[in-house]
Amino acid sequence: MLQLLADGLVVGSVIALGAVGLTLTYSILRFANFGQGEFLTWGAYLAVTALGFVVAVTGGGVMQPIGPFSFGWELLVAMVIAAALTAGLALLVDWLLFQRLRARGAAITLVIASFGAALALRNLLQFLYGTLPEYYTREIQIAIRLVPRDVLGGLRITPDQLLVIGMTGAVVLGLHLLLTRTTLGRAMRATAMNPALARVAGVDVAAVIRATWIIGAALAAVAGVFAGLVGQIRPGLGFELLLPLFAAAILGGIGSVWGAVLGGFIVGLAESFSVPIFGAEYRAATAFLVLIAILLLRPNGLFGEKP
Amino acid sequence: MTPALELSSIEGGYEPGLPILRGASLAVAPGEIVALLGPNGAGKSTLVKAAAGLVPIWSGQVFLNGRDITRTPAHRMVQEGLGFVPQTENIFANLSVLENLQLAAALVPKDRRGELSKMFALFPDLERLRKLPAGRLSGGQRQMLAVARALVASPSVLMLDEPSAGLSPKLIGVVFERLQAVREAGVTILLVEQNVKAALAIADRAAVLVEGRERLVGAAADLAQDPRLAGLYLGAGLEAA
Repeated sequence: MLQLLADGLVVGSVIALGAVGLTLTYSILRFANFGQGEFLTWGAYLAVTALGFVVAVTGGGVMQPIGPFSFGWELLVAMVIAAALTAGLALLVDWLLFQRLRARGAAITLVIASFGAALALRNLLQFLYGTLPEYYTREIQIAIRLVPRDVLGGLRITPDQLLVIGMTGAVVLGLHLLLTRTTLGRAMRATAMNPALARVAGVDVAAVIRATWIIGAALAAVAGVFAGLVGQIRPGLGFELLLPLFAAAILGGIGSVWGAVLGGFIVGLAESFSVPIFGAEYRAATAFLVLIAILLLRPNGLFGEKP
Repeated sequence: MTPALELSSIEGGYEPGLPILRGASLAVAPGEIVALLGPNGAGKSTLVKAAAGLVPIWSGQVFLNGRDITRTPAHRMVQEGLGFVPQTENIFANLSVLENLQLAAALVPKDRRGELSKMFALFPDLERLRKLPAGRLSGGQRQMLAVARALVASPSVLMLDEPSAGLSPKLIGVVFERLQAVREAGVTILLVEQNVKAALAIADRAAVLVEGRERLVGAAADLAQDPRLAGLYLGAGLEAA
């Protein structure tokens, strides 16, 4: 029981971070970006490259793990580099594709274009990195027993998994502070509400759009690195998470950051708890079930505003 | 004297080939309240939106205190000193009252940033409601917030698009009384209005726009007595009226 909860929180962390980026781009750019999953994959792979580079430059090719974790500080540096590079990739895609379509196309044009961008990005990634799984570290981690087996089935968790949950909390809190305490954050919320009024009020909407891509893609990259840290890095990583990302964003009420976070954890937990009930092979279908249930019961999501 | 705001032979519209503004000209002297009147579809809102940078101007020029600001991007107009309060959806409903004002203040250079305390002195209701999401304000309070949001950027000229729309006669009186106070604080005002009587009561001068051009310009007191004004509203040309 507790174990399922912990597993769900780890998966939920990755989904939550990806869904926040999705919900941000949806609310400000006004289209559902099906390329968001690919930013997770690119983030994970760019971190592999960055890690190799950082380790080669500083450690003589060896990464010394910090304390109980499976990785060294080099991975944190690599994650920051990967986030920056993924943000750059998002800006490039926007410049090449979405910016041109935004000027004249309807939202559906952008959605379909994002499908195309996702395919292009995934295939480019496979071309560059191949299809074999990658890992940040080959260290074997021993899970710590936090709760004995006779209490609710017990709980074992690796330090890496705990860190993923903790860092997700920190990142979400940081984003919350950005959105509520800074001029950029208020400008982003204002642009999401009413872009024309935002311009009249002095908001440089083009700059806000750039900031949105940067933040959304950077969060996706962090989510990708987390996914790779607690699992494998594969070219399909982001694509397989795309449906849970949408389920989480819609569940929380599309456009709501806290909704996306909560939605991410609910989808993660639902997936985790579905394993003993339906079997592991139906795990991915749970996101569908949650999505359908939410759309039937609460079409605007948990925190969504009525249209 | 250089006009605070001068619109010179403005032609423009949303779609190429479908002009809404057909050579409209208008000058507002510093410290003046000028009412922009006219029947529905005359292009009043389009004219102020064009001046604010929201509607393409095909030809003609906009001068702010003698400076050519034609085709300046909308988001730079605030920094130039031109404020605009749209008719509807003129506040950020998802931000609190205070955040609406903080955002507007943060987007102009420090020396132009109005003090929030002064805004609250002018609109005391807003101080009481400052933590409330702006979407929960009543119609009158929203209008006050919209004006305060524009004023906090210390504009030299403020353009308002039908601030009386949807308000009760009593509230219209309150809003217009505040506009008088704003003018007394040194802000020049261009006021688009459907409510001719209320607008002429506070304006110094007025212009009547018909089919994208000004057709009648004069002192507000004179226009209030002018029989041609009603004629223009009823669709008659100046010749007939």
